[in-house]
Amino acid sequence: MAVNYIPRRFTVIRDKNLCIDCGCCVRQCSNECHFFDGDGKTVVSDSENCVACHRCVDLCPTRALRIEKYVCDYRENANWTPQYQQEICRQAETGGVLLSGMGTPKPYPIYWDKILLNASQVTNPSIDPLREPMEIRTILGRKPEKITVEKKGKSTVEMPPQVIIETPIMFSAMSFGSISLNAQKSLAMAAKNLGTLFNTGEGGLHPDLKEYTDCAIVQVASGRFGVHKEYLNNSRFVEIKIGQGAKPGIGGHLPGEKVNVEVSNARMIPEGSDAISPAPHHDIYSIEDLRQLIWSIKQATDNKKPVSVKIAAVHNVAAIASGCVRAGADIVVIDGFRGGTGAAPTRIRDNVGIPIELALAAADQRLRDEGIRSRISLVAAGSFRCSADIVKAIALGADACYCASAPLIAMGCHMCQTCNTGKCNWGIATQRPELTKRLNPEIMHLRVENLINAWNHEIKEIMGGMGINSVDSLRGNRLMLRGIGLSEKELEILGIMHAGE
Amino acid sequence: MKKYIIIGASAAGLACAEQIRKEDKNCSITVLTREAYLPYSRPSISYYLKGAVKENDMYLRSPNYYIEKGIDIVTSAPVRSIDKKNKTVKAGRKAYSYDKLCICTGSKPFVPPIKNINGKVNAYTFLDLASTKAVKAKANGNTKAVVIGAGLIGMKAAEGLSKICKSVDVVELSPRILPSILDEKSARSVKKYIEENGHIVFHLGDTVTEAKSNANRITSVVLKSGKELECDMLILAVGVRPETELAEKAGIKVERGIVTNPETMQTSDKSIYAAGDCTVSVDMLDGSKRVIALYPNAVYQGTAAGSQMAGGDIKLDGAYSVNAIDFYGLRICTCGLINAVGEQYSDRTVRSGDKYKRLIFENNRLVGFVLINASENAGIYTSLIENKTDLSEIKTDIFDTPSLFMFDKAEREKRLKGEIA
Amino acid sequence: MKKVYAKEELCLNCRLCEVYCKTAHSKTKDVLKANKYENPTPVSRITVYGDKMLSAAVNCRHCDNPKCVQACITGAMTKDEKTGIVSVNEKKCIGCMTCLSVCPFGCIKTGKFAVKCDLCQDEDEPACVKNCPNHALVYIDLGGAK
Repeated sequence: MAVNYIPRRFTVIRDKNLCIDCGCCVRQCSNECHFFDGDGKTVVSDSENCVACHRCVDLCPTRALRIEKYVCDYRENANWTPQYQQEICRQAETGGVLLSGMGTPKPYPIYWDKILLNASQVTNPSIDPLREPMEIRTILGRKPEKITVEKKGKSTVEMPPQVIIETPIMFSAMSFGSISLNAQKSLAMAAKNLGTLFNTGEGGLHPDLKEYTDCAIVQVASGRFGVHKEYLNNSRFVEIKIGQGAKPGIGGHLPGEKVNVEVSNARMIPEGSDAISPAPHHDIYSIEDLRQLIWSIKQATDNKKPVSVKIAAVHNVAAIASGCVRAGADIVVIDGFRGGTGAAPTRIRDNVGIPIELALAAADQRLRDEGIRSRISLVAAGSFRCSADIVKAIALGADACYCASAPLIAMGCHMCQTCNTGKCNWGIATQRPELTKRLNPEIMHLRVENLINAWNHEIKEIMGGMGINSVDSLRGNRLMLRGIGLSEKELEILGIMHAGE
Repeated sequence: MKKYIIIGASAAGLACAEQIRKEDKNCSITVLTREAYLPYSRPSISYYLKGAVKENDMYLRSPNYYIEKGIDIVTSAPVRSIDKKNKTVKAGRKAYSYDKLCICTGSKPFVPPIKNINGKVNAYTFLDLASTKAVKAKANGNTKAVVIGAGLIGMKAAEGLSKICKSVDVVELSPRILPSILDEKSARSVKKYIEENGHIVFHLGDTVTEAKSNANRITSVVLKSGKELECDMLILAVGVRPETELAEKAGIKVERGIVTNPETMQTSDKSIYAAGDCTVSVDMLDGSKRVIALYPNAVYQGTAAGSQMAGGDIKLDGAYSVNAIDFYGLRICTCGLINAVGEQYSDRTVRSGDKYKRLIFENNRLVGFVLINASENAGIYTSLIENKTDLSEIKTDIFDTPSLFMFDKAEREKRLKGEIA
Repeated sequence: MKKVYAKEELCLNCRLCEVYCKTAHSKTKDVLKANKYENPTPVSRITVYGDKMLSAAVNCRHCDNPKCVQACITGAMTKDEKTGIVSVNEKKCIGCMTCLSVCPFGCIKTGKFAVKCDLCQDEDEPACVKNCPNHALVYIDLGGAK
């Protein structure tokens, strides 16, 4: 029926003068946008299903392909934008919830872009990171409330388990199931070589990743998939996932067709069955319940693993973070609403939660006010696009940051935001064997390492400019930040002064 | 230092000499050839005739190669006799003693009984460089050539001549062309193709009974059917027979060819080996004893003989025929039992366009193929034949272009690593 | 000797190896001209077999005892004793395709003459390996005789 037609979003432009009809694009597009014409030789395109993932563009040996935005004008209306109209059409056709992948594309304020960093001039000399030591090693875990020493000066404090990472950047939770094993393996290899950690998400730990348990964060989420004693112990720390920035208050749903043998084994669920993570943990209805789960995990791990609690940045995030600390969490993770996801209801992703900058500043301040900030580590998550974002987050109070979208982009992701279709042409967000093999961990782990190493260099450079030689001196150092174009309220929440002040 | 003598310097002889050198670095290797040339490619002679290759490019190895390898090639040295007892051979006026001898005398043309052809200057055979040079020297745009025999040699001669001569007639006793490599159907289409692409006139199921001459020159030939063809160049290419005269005289066991151990190529005399077209082979596919006068087989045999003579461990895996040839761009690859007769054999043919693919099976094994313009990856079929692969292990349709994906993962990996031949 | 090995678990079936092999063996050495305008079209020495689920690129194995060399009826196919590379002398080759009929890997292609992988002798690394986007082709020495 014609009324259900939604104009396509992109057009594939094929320069016939350059196309050699090699068919590479035909064999690479899982959306079947390219095909051999009737003669079996000439390659042609049908743009209808193009998602602008650029797989064909990137692999075309003669650069004959280009993706263009397809414009089919509607009568101008700032309120009823084409997108809303199209979404209505889609729902009128299907009667279903709209689904999307990755983080929200809506133009909400990005505070990172409204915060400026400081640098030293004259009075406090800057440091050249190439000539002088620059410490970005980060230690996560519960710290003792006070230090006691014996007569000779030796500490008598029994130190809770600590996790040392060589960079304040960790890879956020992405489950095997939502991403391919090859993608997860690339992250694990990179984490191992970088001296940082990757996160299994709630998909369990695939046996192929056994050798990376030293750099694994294992997640316990509401579905409890793949959780058993060995899983908990095969880790550097255990993370209880309460919420996710991209979809606060929402559970997860891995459709049965993605649950192949491997995924079913890792998750300990029958092959082909839907993997449904409930919205809440059905055994956690209070801070006390959370305390119980934390305690159980500590028992199961012989008190050797720190336990973190990951919460989505919602309105009263600061109070919740405080509750988590009091429930015994050693690390509190706050996930901002611009964070990514394998699949989320579009309306939730685009409307629920608050930005990480505000949530982080508020939580850090609240914990300080309550005198408990120093007991735990605070990890920020939810869309860090560059090293400057990381530096700003640390200055706002984070101990470390979780990154996921950036390493995915390093592995080929082009932010086409169709992870939920399972047809990822880059072999990342898919379980189809013909697609997952496109991601060679031997290549991709190096790219991810390069990215993080580059960011590490930049972080050191920025810190050096500030005259700071250790990431510990940057943490919560909001004097290094100034707002630009922000209201007084925003500045107040961020706890920073305006530029010029 | 051991002394090795090889009689004959073509495919088998050269392979034998090279293999001996590989196994034994310190020995004398002498190759005696009746021909005046260093080893050259016999199959190239028709290409030489039509001008597709130069004489220089016909030589299998460069002259320096023999010096480097210490292989002494004695040209124009027809061997007159072998003395088994004293381990010597006589060639020309010289006698050569040997520790091990290999007979690679190849074949000789079979001259059919035709009246009035003896001693005629324009009747030629077409088997070696000397005869080809003679033909090439005389053939020109006015020549009317008649070729007797539509086998591999006759057809290649006809193709070569057709590029030079005014007319070429091919007379063949059998009702079809290339009977040794083609079945009836494919022979028909190949014949049609050749007629269309080269100006060759076929007279099948016919034979030349008599030549008419003017003094010592043939002027025309008379066919059994009564036809008379003008002829100023007659090529006798009816067939070849193993050249076994020397061996016979020396008292070595000879049947249709020299009899050898099918693995070691040793003859009835312990110190004497034989390889190539002069021997009778046991076809590994049906166990029949026959002469497989084909190049690859000669090399395989020569290599095995050389290795065994020098104390090495290479043995002949088994003989089978494999042949590839082209006519005016039409590529024909054949292997194994083309014309197998028997209940155990079955065959299937797939044609599409100008491609023709006929596979011959024995129970669940491939035993032969005829591929016309469909030679892609034919060697994989050959390996199925050679390895007697059970076809139930084959993953794809056997009529698809053969590829490594016919095999299971383990076999495929072995082949990708090049571990299997 | 160093040879090209294919890892089928990584092969994308993109067949760029074929495109770049043709380019490397063309007159112009230009990917567009070689694949679109040159006449005769260069023949790829490497071929990807299989389908999107499972594929691998196959090229000459440069065997220790190459059957193609043994079977070559003109001496055009030789194995270099030093480098181990099996190559065709186009002056000598008559295009009979006996080599193709005996190669158990399906590595010899038909052009005017027999066409096969020469491991891009003038380059550090064969073009197929250099341009494989997923490193499904590697150029390494797995040992063994030359």
